[in-house]
Amino acid sequence: MHEMSLASALMDEIINIACDNNVVRIEEIELRIGVLKQVVPEVMEEAFRAASFGTLAEGATLRQIEIPARAFCSRCDREFSPAVNDFLCPTCGEFSTTLLEGDELLLGSLTCVT
Amino acid sequence: MKINVVKNVLQANDIVADKNRRAFQEGQVLAINLISSPGSGKTTLLEKTIPALDEQGPSIVIVGDLQTTRDAERVAGSALQVTQINTGMSCHLYANQIAESLPGLDLDQAAFLFIENVGNLVCPGEFDLGENLKVVLLSIPEGDDKVAKYPTVFRAADLVLLTKIDLLGAFNYDLVRVEEDLRKLNPVAPLLPFSATTGQGMEEWLGWLKEQRGTKVGAQAKFFNA
Repeated sequence: MHEMSLASALMDEIINIACDNNVVRIEEIELRIGVLKQVVPEVMEEAFRAASFGTLAEGATLRQIEIPARAFCSRCDREFSPAVNDFLCPTCGEFSTTLLEGDELLLGSLTCVT
Repeated sequence: MKINVVKNVLQANDIVADKNRRAFQEGQVLAINLISSPGSGKTTLLEKTIPALDEQGPSIVIVGDLQTTRDAERVAGSALQVTQINTGMSCHLYANQIAESLPGLDLDQAAFLFIENVGNLVCPGEFDLGENLKVVLLSIPEGDDKVAKYPTVFRAADLVLLTKIDLLGAFNYDLVRVEEDLRKLNPVAPLLPFSATTGQGMEEWLGWLKEQRGTKVGAQAKFFNA
């Protein structure tokens, strides 16, 4: 359900970048989404369609790249893949405070017509 | 043409949140973002907390709701100032809604700023408002499975208040499960059983607020009578 909020924030960023670069139309948007953000791709797609309606990004392809979660256990000195709701090291059971990847929501690139 | 960006999508919100944070720091207020599902007791918590905090200094409240000013009216009598933000269809507060409210608020006259977010366990966890601390309320009737179901907000919590604890006997509720689920996400946030009806946990909650104000705002701050 938070996809609409995220799509609106995404559109704000896109419009700013488009204005700075004299973009007339956007063809593709690359969005990198950490799995911990719990974004549902189909819902994000719908939200983006709604948020981009009537803008220069209307009709653009939204390419969503999922980034898996990676954490580091300092006690075992090794990486592991935490579940969305479990950051305990599967080997020693210690909580990992070092999240390497998986919590980001990044606008990667824009392919556009100027 | 391809433009490589690699930029946090929520950066615009985060920049405003940082400005808010500086305003709270200058005003020497401890800003608390209260997050929970609808109906878990945020407003009732404020009704009980603000008068009890009086000796530590006055409180200002910013209330976010889709509609109505009912929550603001409930705390208007005890708070120094109350601002209601009606978010319409938006299910959480944004940093710029807080920023727009600040010019009308006398932060330098208050010790605490409570931001009562829109009732929702999902979106408010994603949007930084510039607060010092996030307090998440989880009421007993919501069930003991919610921590694992809504991990983002519990991972970000600085304190979890287990509200309506006086109803524990009425439900088949596993307290151990809640604690275990929370520790998989958050090793430090205290889990505090609380009841606005019986007063259970009130002393600990007030003590925590005082301690946090000393840590985050400073023992030299105005109104600080440790």
